Amino acid sequence: MTAEVLRLESVRKSFGSVTALRGASLSLREGEVVALLGDNGAGKSTLIKAVSGVHPIDGGAIYVRGEKASIRSARDAIDLGIETIHQDTSLAPDLSIARNLFLGREPVKLPFLGVFAPIDFPALRGAASALLKRVGISKKLDADAAVNTLSGGERQSIAISRAMQFAAKVIILDEPTNNLGVEETHGVLRFVKEVRDARHTVLFITHNIHHVFQVADRIVVMRRGEIVAERAVADTNLLEVEALIMGVDVSTLAEQAKVH
Amino acid sequence: MRGDRWRGLVATPQVASLIILAVVLVGFSLANPNFLSPLNISNMMAFLPELGIMALAMTLLLTAGEFDLSVGAVFALGPVIVMLLAQTAGVDIGLALLVGLAVCIAIGAINGIIVTKIGISSFLVTLSMLLIARGAALYITQGFPLKSWDQPGIFVTLLAGSFELGPFRLYVSLFWFVGLTLLAAYILNWSKLGNWISAIGSNRSAAVARGVPADAVKIGLFIATSVLAGLAGMISAFRISAASPVAGTGYELEVIAMVVVGGTALTGGYGTILGTVVGAVMLRVIRNGIVLIGVPGLAFNIFVGAIILVMLIMHAMIQKRSARR
Repeated sequence: MTAEVLRLESVRKSFGSVTALRGASLSLREGEVVALLGDNGAGKSTLIKAVSGVHPIDGGAIYVRGEKASIRSARDAIDLGIETIHQDTSLAPDLSIARNLFLGREPVKLPFLGVFAPIDFPALRGAASALLKRVGISKKLDADAAVNTLSGGERQSIAISRAMQFAAKVIILDEPTNNLGVEETHGVLRFVKEVRDARHTVLFITHNIHHVFQVADRIVVMRRGEIVAERAVADTNLLEVEALIMGVDVSTLAEQAKVH
Repeated sequence: MRGDRWRGLVATPQVASLIILAVVLVGFSLANPNFLSPLNISNMMAFLPELGIMALAMTLLLTAGEFDLSVGAVFALGPVIVMLLAQTAGVDIGLALLVGLAVCIAIGAINGIIVTKIGISSFLVTLSMLLIARGAALYITQGFPLKSWDQPGIFVTLLAGSFELGPFRLYVSLFWFVGLTLLAAYILNWSKLGNWISAIGSNRSAAVARGVPADAVKIGLFIATSVLAGLAGMISAFRISAASPVAGTGYELEVIAMVVVGGTALTGGYGTILGTVVGAVMLRVIRNGIVLIGVPGLAFNIFVGAIILVMLIMHAMIQKRSARR
C-alpha cells in the first residue's frame, strides 16, 4: 500500500441556504489516478474548489500527507503541493508558454526588489524548453510562442506539465478533455498516465465515463454533496458506474436498456 | 526566411504604428515646412509629456484589464489643491505638493478598492470619480482659475523648468516623461510585476489560481494612474503658471486613444510602452500638423477620429492574422 497524500474528512460547505457539500470524505494515495464522477450539481466542483483554496471549507478537515492543513487561498493549496487545472482557464492566452509555465513563480535576479525584480529570462527559457522536452510534447513548441497560438490539447498539456514541474503531490484535472478533438483527447489521457508513472496523484473530474476506464485506477462517485461509492476500476463496469451516478439499481438500468 | 522575419516584425502592433507615424511626419513636413521648425517642435515637446505621462500609467492599467476615466479631472484637481494651499492658506509649496499627491493616491485607492472588492466595472466607478473630482475642483475654486503663480523655486524648476538646447526650448518635463517611460517599459516587459499585470488582464482567474495577488496589483495600478495624472497636472499648471478647475477636460479619452492607437489591447492582456509613446507622439503630431496644413479648426476632430479609426482597424487585422483564439 502506498502512502496517503490527501485525505478529506466530513468536509462541509454551504452557500447561503444551499448546502453543496454535506460531509464528504475521500482519501488519495501516491501515484494513483482517481476519477471523481457525479451528475451536475452533485458537488464535484465545490469539492475541487475546497481543496484548491477557491472556496474555504465550513467544517470537517483536510489532511495533506497526514498533517492537518488549512487551505484558505489558491496560494495555500499550491504551497501544499496541490495543483488544480481548470478546463480552459488555467493559462493566460496572451502570454508566452515560458511566462505561463512560471507565472507566479518567476525566476528573478535581484530578489530583494520584490515584485519589481527583473525576471531571469535565460533561466526562464532554459527551464521552459527543458520542461517541454521532458514531458515529451510531440510537436516542437517554441517556449516564446504565445499560448493563443496553441491548440486546446497543447494548452492542457502545458497546464499539466506546469503542475508536474512544481512537483505537485496532487494534480486535480477539472474536465481536462472538454472541447477537445478525439486525437487531442487521447494525447491528454496518455499524458495523465505519464503523470501517474512519475508518482504524482491525479484527481480527474469528467463527464465522460469512457475516459475513466482508460486512465483511472479508482472511481469515486458523488451525489447530493456526499461521496456515495468507491470502486476499483478493475472491479466494476460501465453499467454499474452509471447506476451509481444516477442513484438507481443496476437491474433497473439494465431493464431500461432492454426496453429501448 | 528573411522576408518572413521582416513580415513578422511589421506585424507587431507597435512597429506598424511606428511606420504610420513616420509616414505622417514625412507627409506633414512636405505639406508645410514650418512643421519641422524649432519653434513648432519645441511647442509639441512642451505639451507631449503632460499627456504622455498619463498614457504610460494608463497602458499598465489597460493591460491589467481596467481603465480610468477620472484622469482628466484628477489632472485639474491635483494642482488646484496644491496652489490653493500655497496661495490662500500660506502652506509651504513642498508640503502643498505632498498633500496634492496624497489626494491623488486616495482617489486611486478608492477607484481600485471599489472596482476589485465590490466588483463594479471600472468604467462606472471612474466615471463617477470623474464627476466627483471635477466637481470638487470647480467647487473649491468657485469655478475660477487661480491667481497666477509667480514664485520660482526648486519644485517649480523640477516640475516645469526650461532650458535652451540649440534652437530648441525644452522643458524638464521631458526628462520626467523619458524616465517614467523607461520605468514603465521595465516594469511591463522585464519585471515579475509586469508578468502578473499581463496575466491578470489576459485571464484573471488563471493568474489568481497561480497565487498572483490580482486585486492588490490592480489597486496599485489605479493609484499609480491617479498619481501620474496629478503629477502631469502639476507639471502643466506650473508650466503655464496657473491652475484651472477646467484643465484637462476630455483628456481621459485622448489618453486612452493614445494607448490603444499604440497597440495596447483595450480588453487587457497585451500592452506596449513603445506603442504608447508612438501613440502619444502621433496624436500630438496629428493635432499640430492638421492645423498647420490648414484644415479648418471645426473640421479638426473629424480627421483625428478618422485617423484613430484607421489605426485601430489595422491593429485588429494584424491580430486576426496572428492569433488563434
